[in-house]
Amino acid sequence: MALKIEKTFEVQEPIDKVWDVLSDPRKVATCVPGAQITEQVDEKTYKGAIRVKVGPSVTDYTGEVQIIRLDAQNHEIEILGKGQDVRGRGSASMKMTGKLRALPNGGTEVTSVSEINVVGILAQMGSRVITEVSNIMFGEFVKNFQARLQRPSDGLVQQNATAEVAPIKATSLAWEATKGLFRKKPENGS
Amino acid sequence: MIHKTSPEIGGMGHSIKRKEDLRFIQGKGNYVDDVNLPGMVYGQLVRSPYAHARLKSVNTEKAKKLPGVLAVITGEDLAKANLAWMPTLAYDKQMVLATGKVLFQSQEVAFVVAEDRYTAADAAELVEVEYEELPVLVDPHKALEPDAPLLREDREQKNNHIFHWEVGDRQATEQVFQKAPVKASVHAFFPRCHPAPLETCGCVADFSRATERLTVYMTSQAPHAHRTVFALVGGIPENNIRVISPDIGGGFGNKVPVYPGYVCAIVASLTLGVPVKWIETRSENLQSTGFARDYHMTAEIAADRDGKMQALRVKTLADHGAFNAAAQPTKFPAGLFSICTGSYDYPAAFCEVDGVYTNKAPGGIAYRCSFRVTEAAYLIERVVDVLALDLKMDPAELRCKNFIPASKFPYKSSLGWTYDSGNYEAAMKVALDKIGYQRLRKEQEEKRKKGELMGIGLSSFTEIVGAGPAHSFDILGIKMFDSCEIRIHPTGKAMARMGTKSQGQGHETTYAQIVAQELGIPAADVTIEEGDTDTAPYGLGTYASRSTPTSGAATAIAARKIRDKAKKIAAYLLECNEADLEWEPGKFYVKGTPSKAKTIQEIAFAAYTNIPPGLEPGLEAVDYYDPPNLTFPFGTYVCVVDIDKGTGEVKVRRFVAVDDCGNIINPMIVEGQIHGGLTEGLAIAFMQQIDYDESGNIQGGSFMDYLLPTAVETPHWETDKTCTPSPHHPFGAKGVGESPNVGSPAAFVNAVVDALSHLGVRHIDMPITPWKVWKVLQEKGVAA
Repeated sequence: MALKIEKTFEVQEPIDKVWDVLSDPRKVATCVPGAQITEQVDEKTYKGAIRVKVGPSVTDYTGEVQIIRLDAQNHEIEILGKGQDVRGRGSASMKMTGKLRALPNGGTEVTSVSEINVVGILAQMGSRVITEVSNIMFGEFVKNFQARLQRPSDGLVQQNATAEVAPIKATSLAWEATKGLFRKKPENGS
Repeated sequence: MIHKTSPEIGGMGHSIKRKEDLRFIQGKGNYVDDVNLPGMVYGQLVRSPYAHARLKSVNTEKAKKLPGVLAVITGEDLAKANLAWMPTLAYDKQMVLATGKVLFQSQEVAFVVAEDRYTAADAAELVEVEYEELPVLVDPHKALEPDAPLLREDREQKNNHIFHWEVGDRQATEQVFQKAPVKASVHAFFPRCHPAPLETCGCVADFSRATERLTVYMTSQAPHAHRTVFALVGGIPENNIRVISPDIGGGFGNKVPVYPGYVCAIVASLTLGVPVKWIETRSENLQSTGFARDYHMTAEIAADRDGKMQALRVKTLADHGAFNAAAQPTKFPAGLFSICTGSYDYPAAFCEVDGVYTNKAPGGIAYRCSFRVTEAAYLIERVVDVLALDLKMDPAELRCKNFIPASKFPYKSSLGWTYDSGNYEAAMKVALDKIGYQRLRKEQEEKRKKGELMGIGLSSFTEIVGAGPAHSFDILGIKMFDSCEIRIHPTGKAMARMGTKSQGQGHETTYAQIVAQELGIPAADVTIEEGDTDTAPYGLGTYASRSTPTSGAATAIAARKIRDKAKKIAAYLLECNEADLEWEPGKFYVKGTPSKAKTIQEIAFAAYTNIPPGLEPGLEAVDYYDPPNLTFPFGTYVCVVDIDKGTGEVKVRRFVAVDDCGNIINPMIVEGQIHGGLTEGLAIAFMQQIDYDESGNIQGGSFMDYLLPTAVETPHWETDKTCTPSPHHPFGAKGVGESPNVGSPAAFVNAVVDALSHLGVRHIDMPITPWKVWKVLQEKGVAA
């Protein structure tokens, strides 16, 4: 099941500071709920894990994150992540393009386009639920990202390496997703 | 003409209440999951998340270590016993547990057995399976392309083609088409849907090491056939296998195939020597057991300018999923799809079907229909409406013009069937009168002027049921006869057993009424038992509306055999010649002297206490009935819909169903069957689809996405009937359980298309969701 999610949000930090976080998958990972980077394979490749729990369905993806394009000049990054559930419940991949733009007020606009492909038990939940789950995860990500920017930048990597994976709260996620279903008409009726 | 018995006897034509409901409405039914045996343990399947993947490893160590886990069986384990694959009903084979690779999402990969259900479910989570994803094939049109991924590496044939089947005269049909002034065509996809019976599939397999006997309590529509399959596949002597189908909570074809779960439970019981229960969850049932339809069809009609049909041409691509596990008579790879000429008199016709493999669940079962007759009826009734549109003719008038006339029966169709009897025009007239057709057409005209959307849809279907005559019909070689054994007890009460198996159809009542009709023993005094292979005579089971045409016929004939013997006993008791006796339901009397009579109860008592010299004691009979032909129920359905231009919602305002199933056993049960089937038809037309995304993920795998109609969605059904008895059936019945599911989808779709036809709409594929209609309204610029 493939879906494309496009999001834009603003942060009150200058573009270089934001870029410092966004261009480092280890730092980005700490902002993604349930995710962690476990190992750096080479300059552009990392091993990582993410736990997604929707209702009764827990999926522990482990896999690789790879920077396929890093354009510091234009503040653009393209990341490809691929993972398989450790218990063989499915796989997921995500291609994310992130782009920064300096705002006149000194802040930064972050634009991201994510193409997600989910195969397996989670995908059976249908695009309605997966889109809602993605929206919730993204909301959490933005909160974490902003919080991260406000913290001093040193020591982040170290903290990350030892950090426990904090899964997304299962019940709240399912509940939020369900509420989302009733809040608005699904984008497609198929 | 059927002689009407008294209400006390309750023979044919009486709406007596269903005997089985007494226990059902009290919650005292006995379903498979109610079977609890001492020492019983529980099985749980581990299923594939991928639609197509190489199986690299299955690690069961962690699962086995969980306290309470007794065994974890994998495909490799089964392979050692030569049980990793099993035959399907369509002469293909299917994996019991995957070896090498998986071919559809939710495919069975391992079977965990534990002391309780919860432990089994937890342990299934601990089985670690390593997969390597392979390219997925979900579009059957791509299955035959040269670069399509090869799904079935086990086959000699290295492509995804299963079969090509054709019937009719291709050349003669082509010639008519070349010259015909009018040609109408439609591409219609009948989506993959699922019967979703209230009770999912399951079993309790109980192998006793002491007696070496295997008893399997299972959700089976065909217990005898399943016993034979277990004997042939498992190598267990057939006398040591007992299959018991207890109460079944709906089958609709879903409980005809043998599923891996049954086999795994049997293997586990043989291995562990304890009873093993396996019951599907709802999602397992929807995702892995027999789906229905999934036919991509094209139909073309050649006609003259006045609308007289000259030829029909049909081409179909059949998506069978990963294994060809279609449930059908062996000689008919596309079932009885060649009934697609329907109720019309075509001088020439040609039909071809190609079956292909895709990465989807296997199946192709006859969901409340007689082997693809639903697809056929939908297609012909759809294309006839398209022809009417092209010719600007009224669809009712066009149908009447082309109906097989009542005088032409028995009618030989150009695709080879001999229709037993019919009067299509009569059924249509009743339907049109009841709904007020002309008035509705006027209303529609006025509404269109105001921009309102209203449609009237017709469906004049013909079914083909009661499979079937031994000369053509068998499943894996076993002929499709069916049977009945009747025993009359000394006190005149009776016990009858059949080779069929009710799943809610009301057999305990209707079969008793047949015995009552034939012998005059009150239906209340006749106990019907089905589903235990140790006691019931052999038969092929209940599906395809075959119970009344086959076992119902066997019941009447077995009863008549008993009556013949009863006559001898009566003659002895009344001291007269048999030739001097007359019969009326319940007694023999001497011609001209009605007071000199012996009741069937007195005769039964004599059969055990005062036996005529030279006559065998007892009063019982068995009949194995091989029907001389199939039966052809028919009817006309009319549906009226209103469409909300703001939301695209279709509201069924009225629905009239006129059915002709020949002579009726129990009118109330027939009406109930029609209500149920129409409700299922409504769901198929508007709500349901087992869809797959491009990666082979099931998009209709739970009741969140696969919708069931409730009282809220279901309109009021209006039913009526005509009666054209089958000339070859012992009491002129035809079978009715499936007609409403067969005939109604076309009526719903035709009504929606009719509401939109003035906007240039010719066809909309099911399920017709509000979203789909809304998109059409947007496209045509009429959305509110």
